[in-house]
Amino acid sequence: MENDQLIAIEVFCANYDVEYAFVESLQEHDLIETVIVGNTRFLQVPHLGRIERIIRFHRELDINLEGIEAIQGLLSRIEHLDMEIASLRNRLRFYEPGL
Amino acid sequence: MAFVDYYQILGLDKNADEKAIKNAYRKLARKYHPDLNPNDKEAQKKFQELNEANEVLSDPEKRKKYDKYGKDWQHSEEFERARQARSQAGGQEGQWSGGGNEGFSDFFESMFGSGFGGGRQVRFRGQDYQAEIHLGLRDAYETHKQTLTVNGKNIRITVPAGVENGQTIKIAGHGGPGSNGGPNGDLYITFSVGTDEKLRRSGNDLHLKTDLDLYTAVLGGELVVETLSGKVKLPIKPETQNGSVVRLKGKGFPVYKQDGKFGDLYVTFDVKIPTNLTDRQKELFTELSKS
Repeated sequence: MENDQLIAIEVFCANYDVEYAFVESLQEHDLIETVIVGNTRFLQVPHLGRIERIIRFHRELDINLEGIEAIQGLLSRIEHLDMEIASLRNRLRFYEPGL
Repeated sequence: MAFVDYYQILGLDKNADEKAIKNAYRKLARKYHPDLNPNDKEAQKKFQELNEANEVLSDPEKRKKYDKYGKDWQHSEEFERARQARSQAGGQEGQWSGGGNEGFSDFFESMFGSGFGGGRQVRFRGQDYQAEIHLGLRDAYETHKQTLTVNGKNIRITVPAGVENGQTIKIAGHGGPGSNGGPNGDLYITFSVGTDEKLRRSGNDLHLKTDLDLYTAVLGGELVVETLSGKVKLPIKPETQNGSVVRLKGKGFPVYKQDGKFGDLYVTFDVKIPTNLTDRQKELFTELSKS
């Protein structure tokens, strides 16, 4: 079974030229989530961008999975901080509309 | 079109061996990789330059050609032929023509043609695009359609009421085309919501400062205030103090993606003392002060 939101790991591996074992190791490191439907394991299409980023870290920058785990954590923090800055900026703008 | 010094980009001298090139590229790529520098256009540009330098210097044939004709490419016959064959590329002289990871300088395209050679046929999602939409506070009050042009294509999007300043929404599949049949990237739109002369926004609430004449403040009465949804008649209690605030429930800003739900409007009264009093009025105030 495959729908717009799921992509079988085998199909993903063939298209992205990665080993099945690599995807498994990503899951072991909690870097990705997989979904099992029947006997097939799937990745979620909305997560593809994130998974591609992990593959790029690994392939282009030679970063191991522990390093990627650390980077993902830091990037999430940056994202969270960016959102917080935007929200604080909006609050500050309330007092200083010219900003 | 300017000469591009690939050795300088990677911080190497002309005798650098394969290992040194690889190390220099890895080191700088880790610093400027777009995934590690989200929303940093400078880093993205730098990474593009690094990729191009690495593409040339790590390929013995390309490097040989670059070393031979590099600085004097204008006199190379090969270059002339390539230039004639080259499709009309935009951009200014010596600058990188593309905005994405796959852009090459005009210099590169002239010498080597476009695109990386010999790469794996891997399907990759297209590049994500970023765009910004500027809205006035009143524009963000109502859901409306807007057309924007991204990379030459017109995209009609719905701007939901209640978007915040700095908020980003994702339009799936409207980014760059995927490579080798991969899916398209996404389009990220960031809203820049302006301020209003009279109304100030705090999340879903609005704040309004309004003048109130002394007599209505003292004796009570009515005041008409203009909200974003129209005029509202506001009852004023007798003895209303300067700076006091009343809350108009549901007259604030729409809550993002929650139809029919609104924040509140806070009205602050700025009691105005009458000026240019007549003698009679002064007399009455004096009398009042003694009562």
